[in-house]
Amino acid sequence: MKQEVMAMHVRGASQFVDDMPTPAGCLHAVLYTSPIARGRIRSLDITQAQAAPGVVAVYTHKDVPGLNQVGHIFKDQPLLAIDAVEYIGQPIALVVAESNRAAHRAAKLVHAEFEKLDAVFDPREAAARGMLHGKKRVLVNGDPDAAFARCAHVVQGKLGSGPQEHFYFETQRALACPGEHDTMKVYASAQAPGAFHHHLAEVLGIPQSKVELDIRRLGGGFGGKESTAVWIVAPAMAAFLLKRPCKLVLERNEDIATTGKRHAYQYDYKLGVDSEGRILAYDVTLYQHAGACADISPAVLGRSFLHASGSYRIPNIRITGMSCRTNIPPNNAFRGFGVPQGTFAIEAALTRAAEVAGIDVAVVKRRNLLQAGDTLPYGMKLDWTNAIRCWDTLDTQVDLAARRQAVTDYNRTHTDTQRGLAVVPVCFGISFAQTALNQASSLVHIYVDGSVSVSTGAVEMGQGVNTKLQIIAARTLGIPEDFVRVDSTNTSRIPNASPTSASTGADLNGMATRQACEDLLGRLKPFAAQHLRHPTADDVTIRGGVVFLGDQPTDLHWEALVKAAQWARVDLGAHAFYATPNLHYDLETERGRPFAYYSYGTSITEVQLDVLRGTYAMLAFDVVHDIGRSLTEAVDRGQIEGGVIQGMGWATLEQIHYAPDGRVLTGVNAYKIPDIKFVPPHFGVALLPDSDNPFAVYNSKAVGEPPFVHGLGAYFAVLDALRAVRTDRPLPDLPVTPERAFLYLHGPDLPT
Amino acid sequence: MLSFIVNQQVVRTDQHPGMVLLEFLRDVRCLSGTKEACREGECGACTVLVGRLQANGRVTYKAVASCLLPIGDVDGGHVVSVEGLLGAPLTLVQQLIVDHTASQCGFCTPGVVLSLTGFALTSPTLSYTDAIDALDGNICRCTGYVAIRNAVQQLVNQLATTDHTGAGRLAALVAAGVVPAYFQTIPQQLAALPQPSGKLDPNAVLVAGGTDLFVQRPEALMETPLAFLSQRRDLDYVRVEGQVLRVGGGVTLEDFRRSETVLQHFPALARDMLLHSSTILRNQATLAGNIVNASPIGDATIMLLAADTTLVLEAADGTTREVKLDRFFLAYKQVDLRKGELIREMAIPLLPPGGRYRFEKVSNRVTLDIAAVNTAMRLVQAPDGTIADLRISAGGVGPMPFMIHGLQVFTGRALDAPTVDAIVQVAASAAKPIDDVRGSAVYKRLLLRNLVRALLTSAVAEEVAR
Repeated sequence: MKQEVMAMHVRGASQFVDDMPTPAGCLHAVLYTSPIARGRIRSLDITQAQAAPGVVAVYTHKDVPGLNQVGHIFKDQPLLAIDAVEYIGQPIALVVAESNRAAHRAAKLVHAEFEKLDAVFDPREAAARGMLHGKKRVLVNGDPDAAFARCAHVVQGKLGSGPQEHFYFETQRALACPGEHDTMKVYASAQAPGAFHHHLAEVLGIPQSKVELDIRRLGGGFGGKESTAVWIVAPAMAAFLLKRPCKLVLERNEDIATTGKRHAYQYDYKLGVDSEGRILAYDVTLYQHAGACADISPAVLGRSFLHASGSYRIPNIRITGMSCRTNIPPNNAFRGFGVPQGTFAIEAALTRAAEVAGIDVAVVKRRNLLQAGDTLPYGMKLDWTNAIRCWDTLDTQVDLAARRQAVTDYNRTHTDTQRGLAVVPVCFGISFAQTALNQASSLVHIYVDGSVSVSTGAVEMGQGVNTKLQIIAARTLGIPEDFVRVDSTNTSRIPNASPTSASTGADLNGMATRQACEDLLGRLKPFAAQHLRHPTADDVTIRGGVVFLGDQPTDLHWEALVKAAQWARVDLGAHAFYATPNLHYDLETERGRPFAYYSYGTSITEVQLDVLRGTYAMLAFDVVHDIGRSLTEAVDRGQIEGGVIQGMGWATLEQIHYAPDGRVLTGVNAYKIPDIKFVPPHFGVALLPDSDNPFAVYNSKAVGEPPFVHGLGAYFAVLDALRAVRTDRPLPDLPVTPERAFLYLHGPDLPT
Repeated sequence: MLSFIVNQQVVRTDQHPGMVLLEFLRDVRCLSGTKEACREGECGACTVLVGRLQANGRVTYKAVASCLLPIGDVDGGHVVSVEGLLGAPLTLVQQLIVDHTASQCGFCTPGVVLSLTGFALTSPTLSYTDAIDALDGNICRCTGYVAIRNAVQQLVNQLATTDHTGAGRLAALVAAGVVPAYFQTIPQQLAALPQPSGKLDPNAVLVAGGTDLFVQRPEALMETPLAFLSQRRDLDYVRVEGQVLRVGGGVTLEDFRRSETVLQHFPALARDMLLHSSTILRNQATLAGNIVNASPIGDATIMLLAADTTLVLEAADGTTREVKLDRFFLAYKQVDLRKGELIREMAIPLLPPGGRYRFEKVSNRVTLDIAAVNTAMRLVQAPDGTIADLRISAGGVGPMPFMIHGLQVFTGRALDAPTVDAIVQVAASAAKPIDDVRGSAVYKRLLLRNLVRALLTSAVAEEVAR
């Protein structure tokens, strides 16, 4: 599958939503959005836009046929603003025209008058005013206050991490095609088939059974297409009202300015260690910069919260988390889903504690790593962990102490440049923290010619889930992989699917697919035994498309078996369901077992800093990452490489500038993600050997998100080099852009 | 009526010459393999090859961003989109990307394929470094590039064993499966097409590379007559006359960067110009366009300013006048260019003995990013090491690119530490930066100081090394 799909990609033959032949009479929709961050709409004049050439309709909230609501967790997000706006970019009117150009021109002719109100752009300020999405969460384990008194060293401070634009190459888009009897078929670039299907039906005011959402593939998702349905629902509304196909494709700068991002966070941290650097107590407050609507932010916060202790054993801890309501576009999921943010704070605090204790930070980290028998702050006891195995395997490969010595030697003998390195362990819980989402179903069809079609709720966005599903189906059925095709993700075949996120796509849908294939085998094997006049089905296996009796191949091949079975009226379609067992979490007590298992890894990142210019280059990166028994190593390596570089981008280059009024100033010409020359010349990926994982399909492990966290190494390696020059300044916020690095080295002293 | 070849087919169209090629391919020709992801030349997903017939009868190809390339500028040429590689069998580049799993979501992949194919067609060295340079405008959000680098290494290894010199390059690439065989028939087919006359409509908007114009106002350019500087083949030259390097107004940034004549006299430019935009933009954008654009931060402009360049401006009637580049910029985005005038030539004095040229730039990302601050220096030292002439330009620290004034006082002084400090002080006091997305004012002011120090200390270091 991967080979076939890539062969289409390299030919430009893969169809994304906007590559499908445009249906005759297709209309184009553009949103008119709020130019102010907060205020009341005094008047809205759409007459000029309605009269513009090519315009077919201009819709406001009054025209929404069903529920004017796309809120994901809470019903707090109207599709089209009613009488107030809460962020710049909030949709107010929908302009529909015969061409994309005409729609864009007409959207400029919508006029609105506002009464401006004070807006809040700082999460700490929002928290102080009690402007939160959901409740403040507090988790206490042990007695941190008492433990701080016993610590040899205590560090504390404030810190921040910045937003990250998804920069999926395919911007938000959908094509909606009305059908007979008020039905609607929508082709969309979306990660959440079930949720978006529901939003579509609600907004159109029709039953879900009349809506079909089809998703072939995404030109990148990374979480940005998981929760905010605006750009899928809006063209469907126009198509529904006008009975004509309608398409909406966001332009890149619209997408950057108006869609959600990885949440920026502010942190207050306090960490205490004993004289040997063992963590005794940690107190951290997470201020999540959520934006104007809850969207999926409380869930992201929850994951930061549960990962606030990183890879470490912390006997006394207080974690406080707030999803702060601010007047920017609602932020949403982004690869890692709050884990990188939660991990950043503990990594930074521990780095400072090691400095104060005068012990190499890598030694301190190793000393505190999670071991079997440790209990996580939310009460989950680890029966086993690979945290130390990953660390020690890396150490064996690269000799961490020798690498540190080499950097120290380099820095002693150089002044123009300094080097820095960072070792970062990763511990990442796998499962949706929201227990209900840990379910999936699969529909497997065997056709009379022997070909097999697999449908699940998983969405292919480049991460290779379809390749894994194909491998799982082929392996379970015992047939060559090219007999299996994974079909599009379609709500008429698979209902109520959870989003493809939390790295669970292959775990959940793979388990369901394996079950469906086993159900089919449960029918085919007895039939094969009967067909071969063999007394028992127990001896029947299928290997490489051939029916075996015991270890002996028979003349019966898959195609003939299937054909005969169908003629004998054996059911060749199967639907199966999987729900991850033994998951629970109690939000009242903040205790439970939210994750099925954990993904581990340890990486080392080395950089070189140009002291005069404040610039830096990535020199080398090595990782040992635990992915269990890989279903497909090429795909998993790609996920690790891509995740790490994306994480490094977040940690170093990627920044969004806002104007004082809340406007996003950063367009595509200033939002810089890693390019090919950013990548460290040495990039070593090793997979942890002999790692089993009974909690996922065929002993595999989720791989989509955890490697992203290794990208933190870029921040900490640059920090290490900066600290080699001077230590008399507070840690810079993440990302440590060249500007921040320069000002750390050469900037004026800031008022404290 | 424009006529050009798209892949294997001759196309004649009455579409407005200002329609960008990306839109023409996708919306008019229904060739959806070329992807749109930014429309500003920032991502490379829309990369195509454009081949133009040369006087020697050959066709030279360049990888370009089709989102910023008006179809009027490909008149008489050969446009190759990913569909034009035919794909059955896969070309060598395509096969290597598949073999190395160097594609994930697939959206950027066609652009990567065409940039690497462009590399194979044009690189003088076919080296790994050159191949990576060729991908400096192709951004990928999924792979982290590691697999792409592996594919590139294999490509370079395989091309090293093919005979690819001189006129035999195309045939060798056809034999190696890099491009389809029909490429060999293109020169003949283009020769049969009407080629642009080279006479430019004086009332039209003059488009040089267009890589900024078509970012700033693509809609307006679809409603006005356009004239394309690339059709003035007489402006495509680089030569030395006496002690002056003369560069025609039509020379692209990449041709300038690659010019052996340029590198003979300014070898550092090969590296410095790599910091200017990206290959797919440098292949289209011109040196003159960078100057006329009058960006306060134009990299080529900053280099040429320090180099003491004189512009030769040509009026519509063919008469010329000369303006020193440091007097060309009048205010923010205002230049001394009269209606109907174009830059015919940039005259750059060669460095005298004891002369050196240096460029410094810092941007958030090293490649394909706009500088926070850039600065260049032309320093001439007397045989005793004292300063004979010092010119320093600065960008990003004022409304227009400018020369730092008041450096004459250092003439005759040794380039020692106190002098360096004093020069840095003069430069720092000339800076008037503002806060913007490229950086805060305080950053840019301090950064200029350090970059000027870097310019000078590199000269001092070389002095010591001698």
